[in-house]
Amino acid sequence: MMFNTILAAFLAVSAGLTATPQPGTPSGSEGVKAGVSPASKAVSDAAAFTAFKAKIVYLGNGTSLENGVVLVQDGIIVKVGKDLEIPAGAGIVDHDGALSAGLIALHSNDGAGGELNDTTRTVMPDAEARFAFDPKHPELREALEAGITSIVLCPSSSRLIGGQTAVVKTSGGVIVKPNAQLSLGLSSAALSYNEFPTSYSGALGELNAQFSDPKGAVSRAVAGSLPVLMDVNDRAETMRAIAFAKKYKLRGAMYGSYWAEDVVVAIKESGFDVICTPFDVGDNQRGARSVAALAAAGVRIGFGLDSPARHPASLRFGAAMCVRQGLAADSARKALTGDAADIVGAGNRIGKIARGSDADIVLWSGDPVALSSSIKAVYIEGKQVFGGSK
Amino acid sequence: MRPQATILALASLACVTHLPTLGWASLAGTTPLVTEDEDQACAELPTYVLRAEKLVVRPGKVLENVSVLVRGGEIVLISPEIPLPEGATEIKGKVVCASFMDPWSALGVDSNVLNDKSLNEEARVSDALNLYSGDFLRQQALEAGVTTARLQGGYRGSTGGLGAVVRLDPELDDPSTAVLLSDANLGMSVGLTVDSGARLVRGADGSLQFLSGDEPVDVFDRVSAIDKLISKLESGAAYRQAELEYAHKLDEWNKEIAEQTKKLEGDYKKAKKSRDKDVKEAEEKGKEFKEKKYKESRKPKQPKQDDGKAALASVAEGEIPLVVEVHRSSEIRNLLERTKSFGRLRLVIAGGSEALSSAKELAEREIPVIVWPALRGNSAQDEFASDDLSLAGVLAARGVPILLGTGGRGEDATRDLPLLAQMAIGHGLDPEVALRALTVDAARTFDMAGSIGTVELGKDADLLVLDGMPLMPGTNIEHVFCGGRLAVSNKN
Amino acid sequence: MLFTVLSLALGSGGLAAMPVPAEATTVFADRIYTAAGDVIENGMVVITDGKISAIGVAPNGERKEGELHVAAITPGMVDLSSRNTNMQTVEETTEVSAQYHVADSLDLFDRSWGRQLKSGVTTVVANPYDNNCIGGFSIALKTGGEPSLEARTVKADVALRGSFGSQPSGKNHPARRRPTDFYSRRPTTRMGVEWVWRKSMYDALYAEGNKDRAFDGVEQLLAALNGEVPVFAQAWATQDIRTAVFLKEEMAKEGKTKMRLIIDAGAEAWRELDFLTRTGTAVVLPPFASDGRTFDNAFYARDCAAKLHGAGVPIALSAHNDSSPGHSLGDQAAFARSGGLSFDAALEAVTISPARIMGIDRRVGSIEVGKDGDLVLWNGTPFELTSSVVGVVLEGELVVDPR
Repeated sequence: MMFNTILAAFLAVSAGLTATPQPGTPSGSEGVKAGVSPASKAVSDAAAFTAFKAKIVYLGNGTSLENGVVLVQDGIIVKVGKDLEIPAGAGIVDHDGALSAGLIALHSNDGAGGELNDTTRTVMPDAEARFAFDPKHPELREALEAGITSIVLCPSSSRLIGGQTAVVKTSGGVIVKPNAQLSLGLSSAALSYNEFPTSYSGALGELNAQFSDPKGAVSRAVAGSLPVLMDVNDRAETMRAIAFAKKYKLRGAMYGSYWAEDVVVAIKESGFDVICTPFDVGDNQRGARSVAALAAAGVRIGFGLDSPARHPASLRFGAAMCVRQGLAADSARKALTGDAADIVGAGNRIGKIARGSDADIVLWSGDPVALSSSIKAVYIEGKQVFGGSK
Repeated sequence: MRPQATILALASLACVTHLPTLGWASLAGTTPLVTEDEDQACAELPTYVLRAEKLVVRPGKVLENVSVLVRGGEIVLISPEIPLPEGATEIKGKVVCASFMDPWSALGVDSNVLNDKSLNEEARVSDALNLYSGDFLRQQALEAGVTTARLQGGYRGSTGGLGAVVRLDPELDDPSTAVLLSDANLGMSVGLTVDSGARLVRGADGSLQFLSGDEPVDVFDRVSAIDKLISKLESGAAYRQAELEYAHKLDEWNKEIAEQTKKLEGDYKKAKKSRDKDVKEAEEKGKEFKEKKYKESRKPKQPKQDDGKAALASVAEGEIPLVVEVHRSSEIRNLLERTKSFGRLRLVIAGGSEALSSAKELAEREIPVIVWPALRGNSAQDEFASDDLSLAGVLAARGVPILLGTGGRGEDATRDLPLLAQMAIGHGLDPEVALRALTVDAARTFDMAGSIGTVELGKDADLLVLDGMPLMPGTNIEHVFCGGRLAVSNKN
Repeated sequence: MLFTVLSLALGSGGLAAMPVPAEATTVFADRIYTAAGDVIENGMVVITDGKISAIGVAPNGERKEGELHVAAITPGMVDLSSRNTNMQTVEETTEVSAQYHVADSLDLFDRSWGRQLKSGVTTVVANPYDNNCIGGFSIALKTGGEPSLEARTVKADVALRGSFGSQPSGKNHPARRRPTDFYSRRPTTRMGVEWVWRKSMYDALYAEGNKDRAFDGVEQLLAALNGEVPVFAQAWATQDIRTAVFLKEEMAKEGKTKMRLIIDAGAEAWRELDFLTRTGTAVVLPPFASDGRTFDNAFYARDCAAKLHGAGVPIALSAHNDSSPGHSLGDQAAFARSGGLSFDAALEAVTISPARIMGIDRRVGSIEVGKDGDLVLWNGTPFELTSSVVGVVLEGELVVDPR
């Protein structure tokens, strides 16, 4: 009897709470609706705050928070939690669905207009991809609409030492990290039929010459302050790259995962991250199996995109294909966001729903790695850049 | 036949294996209940009882806690309670639904026929099935839940020949069992980029470069392509007309002959006398006697047999649908306009990247569009320039009947049809419409609704057992039945 | 010869039946052809930790269940011309690329290694593809084991590889209008190929005493001129074999008397026995062709191997990456026998002789205690077309099991 009374009282309280929602909060309607409490007119400072509420918040590190709140101020995430006190006057985005950090496409050419492959020379370590970046390019918009808020521009892997990659955002022209990685071509793509090098021997000979007498960006790679991005394709190329990296104590990531299944132990031992080869409809399942095997072995992975030659939706499509071949959904989400950011050394700023990170946020109808989930809104540094209702 | 077989199965709940001593007539009066073929199938395929928490009879109609009895490859009973027959296997699952059909696929088509630029209308893709290769691809398609597909050859040419509906079961290595419908449709295309092969070209600086052989068709050629298509349809209609006229005239001629014969028989003596007289006259004049060939000379002439025109005729008469791959809005509009005069034509648009501009007419005329949600980058061919993943959703919202297919280019794409459907859902397509597109609508468009596409009595057992609603996030396929065979079992 | 007689005497008299060790790979055979001079009847080979630890006569008595017993054992075969390296193993931007190593280009995941292993070839020399005059350094490696250079290398930089004849000039063309690629800067004739060879060697000679004249690959060329590594040159036809030998003699006149020359694919070497014996040049023979015509139109008959052996030229046979029945290295030995080569010489020509030619005979090439445990197991007399390879042991591991 006593218990029932308490329960009833509790129910009443909770009912009371739900019956008095924040002003402007939608009640029962789906989709995204933003509102500003009337108090904000009085307190102008508080307007800088926006609270994102979602049924489930994917934090970008493989974990999630149900009914989480993400508090954003001046484009930066200041607080993440379950029952956060929302400052009076804060803007509120109440989303009946999932929230994740913006996706990161490692290895992309969006917005570079084909200016990343300088065919006149094969060794140009101090070239920087950021100078090919056109922040107004329409391709960036397409990426944005696929939930991709940051991309990594990479010099072409058809160069032996192509230059330095850059992490940029798909809106606002923000360069997150100008000198992210040093791009090395260790696959057959770097071999030519009519110019140097035509052989792996020649390629490796030249790389050895550059790295044994390091200058400029190469010396930073040898010193460990600049990670390398080694383009590989088959197993032999992977093993060759690992041996090369070991010789000069390099660290970083390898781009190319199709054959990784067979050399997963060597990759794990090398300590290198792997950027997965993009996927397309009908691709052989070996590629997806390899990704699942890498993740299972504890190798940190991210996804490449190679847009604009590939559709930006390929990024999530690839993740879904890998999930079908046994990749854990948590690992897939992490690979699309937090781990991708860590691979390019930008994990303190993008890829995670965490305090201090940029408020690059995507609101989904459901799980981001389920292809049937749709994108409801995209925010970059707290500003809505895509979505139905602004 | 089928309903009766069902009744028999219901009555005995046991596999009928041996009946000759009873005699067919004594059992059912006039017709035999089970032919020997079915008897054989019955003996080979095991019996299953599927117990489903939810049975998706067809998208939108869900029964709860029912069982499905599968015997001899067919669904023979759906009921809340079915006792487990002896020797039958029981499979429990959260959701049971019809398996998927890819209405635009190339899986199993011989690559020469697939790439043939000059197929005729009478070319049958069912004659070009390569059932001895790509087993693993068909197995992967089954694992993804796709058990049937409409195959089409010759996507590079303006005519793709007659498409076929087949079962994607690597166990079926005999075309007679794999092909469910051999003349499912006639395939054509308008305005596709022509691939004339890559060329090595010497540039201005003297260096050699590879140039892709893709050449967009110029706009006048595209218009004339539609002219050609229409004139083909007209020739088909004319052929049918000529055939009908011939049949009619032959009928009349036969009738006339019969009358003449009757008359002559009645007046035999007179006829003989007049013939003798004619013979005599001829002899006197030293001429050869010529029998009057009145009857034969007036026999109507049969039109020349032409299988291609016959195929076009059945298209023009709506006996089989016409699938036209067309992408640009101007061509779609033109095609719709020009086909209006063919009242019975059953047009199906394949691709339709810019079909949105004709959505109203497509909806009014109930012309289905097979949307191909592919992941094309910016290097896609000219006709796909405005291709958009949200096309299926937007068309469906405008009331256009839509199907989802994998483009009939690559054999391996069919496996990913469910992923593409999910992606279409993610870009705005209603999940129920998507499921309908993969099951009942696909079957209905290609005249297969009598045997596949829904979970109903008498239908073939092409079924999925899943741990959640089909196409929904996180749902896994546990078992796949293909024509009554348990083709995939993922559980443990 | 004397050595052979001595060890034979030791073999027949000195070997007593020995116990079978438990923790090792032990193979029994009716006959063991050691390629070190002995043939052991009813013998056994014991391999411990990948090395041959004992050879002897098997103990008498019943055979035990599961015992590995075959008709004959030979050493793992050695092929000095693996020919499974593709064009991406040679740097064609320059016609002399002595500074590069084929080891950097190998695809150890390629299936051809495994096929060679299964045909009984346990050690090969992989060479840069022969599109350059001087291609780079070759490597001797095992055909099986972990697919890594560390695990498979027998000897790195085992020879400086080059090529004479039509192949290094075949792709090149004269510059038309404007020179557009490196092929127009390379030799288009045999004369030009020889000139490139001679020029690079003289360049190296001049650079030896003058550091200002050093260039990429000079150390490697000097190592070859000074005999530290052999020059392993492809030369099919007579004229090319003569060119190679003339070059060696010219360098000897310049004081480089230690330079060693090995001819690869010397199909017409039988025409130039004097040249070869005079310069002590070893010859690796290509696979036999049914019509006698080979690359560069060189004529090559079955008795070539016997003729060369008779004249005292060290020979080795090779199969050029064809491991199929009727073409494998074992079959090449059978063909050479049908051309008059003795059994012993045929055995040596696919085992210890190539190992000696390439200087890797400390590890491979014969069945002797301390060498690598590489064995080929036969179901009859080896190098007969009626018998075949039924098993292969690689460093003690039974990679092809005859059972």
